Amino acid sequence: MLSATLPTGAAFVREHLRTPLTLVMLIAIPAFFVLVFASVLGEFSEALGGTLASQSATAISAGWATAFLCGALAFFQVSSSRGADRRLAAAGLGPLRVASSRILAALAIGLTISAVAFVTLWLRSGIAHPLHAFAAIFAFAATYIGIGAVIGAFVKGQLEGSLLVVLVFSVDAFSDPQMTSNGLIAETPTQNAANLLVAAGGAQGSPPGDWVGAGSIALAALAVALAAFWTSARTRA
Amino acid sequence: MGIARAKEAPDGSPAQVAGRPEPGAERVVLSVRDVEKRFHRGIWPLRREIEVLTGVTLEIRAGELVGLVGENGSGKSTLMQIVVGLLRRDAGEVERPARLGYCPQLPMLWEKLTVDEHFELYGRAYGLEEAECERAVAGLLEELRFARYRGYRIEELSGGTRQKLNLALALMHEPDLLLLDEPYSGFDWETYLRFWEMSERRRDAGMGILIVSHLLAERERLDRMYELREGRISGC
Repeated sequence: MLSATLPTGAAFVREHLRTPLTLVMLIAIPAFFVLVFASVLGEFSEALGGTLASQSATAISAGWATAFLCGALAFFQVSSSRGADRRLAAAGLGPLRVASSRILAALAIGLTISAVAFVTLWLRSGIAHPLHAFAAIFAFAATYIGIGAVIGAFVKGQLEGSLLVVLVFSVDAFSDPQMTSNGLIAETPTQNAANLLVAAGGAQGSPPGDWVGAGSIALAALAVALAAFWTSARTRA
Repeated sequence: MGIARAKEAPDGSPAQVAGRPEPGAERVVLSVRDVEKRFHRGIWPLRREIEVLTGVTLEIRAGELVGLVGENGSGKSTLMQIVVGLLRRDAGEVERPARLGYCPQLPMLWEKLTVDEHFELYGRAYGLEEAECERAVAGLLEELRFARYRGYRIEELSGGTRQKLNLALALMHEPDLLLLDEPYSGFDWETYLRFWEMSERRRDAGMGILIVSHLLAERERLDRMYELREGRISGC
């Protein structure tokens, strides 16, 4: 299975990285979030009744930049290649191998985006626990690979789907308990990863509960992504 | 002379019959019986049902070049997709060989990948060895005359060249059954004539070919023709 999955996954990575604008965004979005957006995020949180300190905002913005990019790219992986993937699966590769190749490509791109966001964060503010920070940023990536892929599998229109990714991202980012005091949403998908990132950035200890939570959500999201890639590559009803 | 029966997949995908037909033998390579298909559109309570195929039955034998005609929206492409396994049918049976080539009406390709990368992906999907794949690709590039575009991305190709690749991908593993859904749209006259020569050569070598066609002038090139009307085969 790997003999077909690895080269197919590599082709899917090339497919995405051959868009010059995407490459620019991979650098520009983390840089914008960490260097520009984070500086106003603390004040924004304060205005909403949240408790996010400026240094924490800088750390967490690296996670959100990763989440946004990974969600959008996973959505377009499904949305823009649905027909071609299904044809390849029907030609003999099968939906499971196509889906495995897609998840491999999504993970490779997610790791790259996480690395860019991590380096930007490190250069901007320094990180007390770099490994913890990288793991937390990658948890953001994995979570949004799942969200982007599942939206791509069920929403056919590219405009509607990308708007939905932005909506989920906005609700997630701005409903975090550290961002707002309204308490409307008690749990958000990236809450544990955000706690880990804030702790890693501020040289605090990482709570074990957040490790378990972020790890479980990331793994579940990747399983959901695999199912979503499989759904869009298999025989349609 | 019948088709070897194969157990149907649990998800309703077409049963596959192994083995290659011998040239000249009139083995059935595609058997479609009483196939029905409805599409559901909209969401409840405004959900409506569109009946596309209401019991289609047809048969293709090895070494036959058969046409499938019908008005726009008569279900020709839907039937092709059901045979390939891209669409699930609601009722009926489909038996077809494992080695099947499908050239869809609209090329389903990856815009950012090159022509060569498409051949590599499909070579792996068909289970071809590297040398076997390269030999098949070289032959098809020569036959369809687009070898100089090997390194081009799909987004850089003209409509006609995309269609050549679309056809070549369906042919590179020399299938037992070839399904062509209006394969020549975008072809210039020379390529159009070459396409028919290629099809006739393969038919003579024992390949079963079903081709969606609109042009009356093509009827003399076909061995037989099915007409799809109101969801059924109405003439043969």
